[in-house]
Amino acid sequence: MVVVRRRWFQTPWEFRESALFTVVALLGGFVFQYISDGQGIAQPHWPINLIALSLFAVVILTIGIGFRNSLAVKWFGGIPMGLCLIFAIAALSLAGGIFPQEAAESHSLPARFGLYKIFSGWPFALVVLLFLANLGIALSWRLIPFQAQNLQFILFHAGFWIALSCGIFGSSDLQRLVVPIEEGKANNLGYTMESDTPRQLPFSVFLHDFSLEEYPPQLLLYDPHSDKLLMDKSQAIIEVRKGTTASWKGSTVLVLDYISSGMPGHDGIPHPADRSTGIPYAKVRISTGSTQHEAWLSTGSPFLKPDAAQLGNFYLIMIPGTPKSFRSAVTVQDSHNHVLMANLGVNRPVNFMGWKLYQMGYDEKAGRWSTLSLIEVIRDPWLPAVYLGFFMIMAGNILFFWNGIKRKEVTS
Amino acid sequence: MTIDFNTAAIVSIACWATGSLLSLLRHRIPALKHPGTVFSFAGSLAMAGYIAYYWLLLDRPPLRTLGETRLWYAALIPLVGFLVEYRWKIVWLKYYCVVLASFFLVINIQHPEVFDKTLMPALQSPWFIPHVVVYLVGYVLLAASSVTALHNVFLQLRSKATVTGESVSHYLALLGFVFLSFGLIFGALWAKEAWGHYWTWDPKETWAFLSWLAYLGYLHAYRYKIEQGKLQWYLALSFLVLLVCWFGVNYLPSAQNSVHTYTQS
Ligand code: HEM
Repeated sequence: MVVVRRRWFQTPWEFRESALFTVVALLGGFVFQYISDGQGIAQPHWPINLIALSLFAVVILTIGIGFRNSLAVKWFGGIPMGLCLIFAIAALSLAGGIFPQEAAESHSLPARFGLYKIFSGWPFALVVLLFLANLGIALSWRLIPFQAQNLQFILFHAGFWIALSCGIFGSSDLQRLVVPIEEGKANNLGYTMESDTPRQLPFSVFLHDFSLEEYPPQLLLYDPHSDKLLMDKSQAIIEVRKGTTASWKGSTVLVLDYISSGMPGHDGIPHPADRSTGIPYAKVRISTGSTQHEAWLSTGSPFLKPDAAQLGNFYLIMIPGTPKSFRSAVTVQDSHNHVLMANLGVNRPVNFMGWKLYQMGYDEKAGRWSTLSLIEVIRDPWLPAVYLGFFMIMAGNILFFWNGIKRKEVTS
Repeated sequence: MTIDFNTAAIVSIACWATGSLLSLLRHRIPALKHPGTVFSFAGSLAMAGYIAYYWLLLDRPPLRTLGETRLWYAALIPLVGFLVEYRWKIVWLKYYCVVLASFFLVINIQHPEVFDKTLMPALQSPWFIPHVVVYLVGYVLLAASSVTALHNVFLQLRSKATVTGESVSHYLALLGFVFLSFGLIFGALWAKEAWGHYWTWDPKETWAFLSWLAYLGYLHAYRYKIEQGKLQWYLALSFLVLLVCWFGVNYLPSAQNSVHTYTQS
């Protein structure tokens, strides 16, 4: 085998030239970033971003189809360039995956190079733009003339092109606002993560009721010296139910009785009560060696002190279970009298006039007794385009899987 | 009555070990071939049975913690080895797979899980199972692909590389990529429903994207007919990225407030 060494810039250009180009683009991006003092890019909003993206697409397709025999265009739309740009995106993502990405203002050197804001910085923008150009040109060659056998290629590459370009160009039109609402009140002001000044929403949200359901409470041993909570020896989270047992350091604990919602009684014995005011109570028997004693434990609430039991130098305590679900009954209404009543829950958002409403949070200090609900409202007009891209990639994926399976038959 | 995890793990490992031993001896005693297969399968079946039992016990799919996902890998990885043996008559892969699976179980024996039935609200979604299962299968295929590629690298060093060996690592990578792509998109669709946006460059997402890019790079390099020697190295090393994504993310400075680091035990 004769190995012919390619010289730099010998036509047709290949990996070396693509790699050099990519590195220059990356360096250029970092220089821009440095000069602009670590500031990200201000992206245009609707409809300028749509116009810009359409123009970009038309220019790329024209170059791809009009100059398909030009060596430069062939090089620019080729796999070597594609690979180099994929690696460049990977390198930037790697930086983004290692450095914490937060909006903290700082004037350290890494901050000036935008390392804490990789995905909104110049190097990333530049590389993505080149990537879209490269991918677009490769795509244009397969789109025209159209052939059915290129369908898989087209679905993958066009799908990714659409999802990436619309996701990035459309990100300036994404609105995410948090609306805090008290039970029995309405609110039409939303807050962004970045600023304290509220923004007016085109609708208002009335909160009828916020409700939270918890998993059963847990038994734990509290060590006052180290201020630590100790798990029992089986390393299990001990959910309190009638008959539950647990053991710590030679003592065993048996739950004799459990009241999921109770109030303290006159004689020290709690009695069942309504869920809106009651708290969990458990009667436990603690056996250490041959001695036994019984005690009532409770989780406490904003209105009631918790009850604990002594176990040697430790305290046996009951803590409320983690939230199982929480939801808000709301009525949403806009000035044109569109009305929607809904039960918002985590993973159960609702749509209203182009907005999507999410159950986001509540007053965590108050837990189950919270009368405050945080609703996040989101508008993302570019979402359908991004989803179109996703579905095209998935369709391409199915074809790819199918062909992969079929081609195996040939090799065997 | 609870079936002890240690017992189940030891049963599985014993079955795999017996199956592998019988399979190694089959050249001398051909009659051992089928019992070998039966034992090897029984090992995975035992783990699958334990997963089913554990699922019932927890009242939720055991897919929440790293330790729980290791159970699935332990059950599934040997199956890839068996599939490759059946399809391409390549026997050695299953030994690697069985060792890898046993390794996962041993980790779990040494680090018992906190037995916790709770499932936070964001995970209570119809997307939870497909997203995680698709990723599991993807990782399993890619792990097998890397092992095969590593084996091919050794064969190359001794100038014994085979076309079949190379096509096995390639097809495993290809199938793995398909599952990775589905996992990524399912994750995005789920994130939209649960957290409001399909992509937020959360560290886990970033690393998942990186692993996907690594295999995307491989597929294009393959298409461009880069030499097999380099490609096999590439595939063998790509798995490192997957490992960071899967285990390592929790330890990176960027992950302090990630929404989906697995719960540590
Ligand atoms: C960076 C720009 C890219 C360029 C220049 C490029 C170019 C190509 C080319 C020329 C092929 C060979 C097609 C054939 O022979 O039919 C190909 C295959 C492929 N591309 Fe891309 N591509 C790029 C990005 C992507 C992206 C982002 C995806 C994923 C969504 C993707 C997924 C695929 C797949 C799955 C194949 C099939 C590989 C195979 O059949 O082995 N490509 N690409």
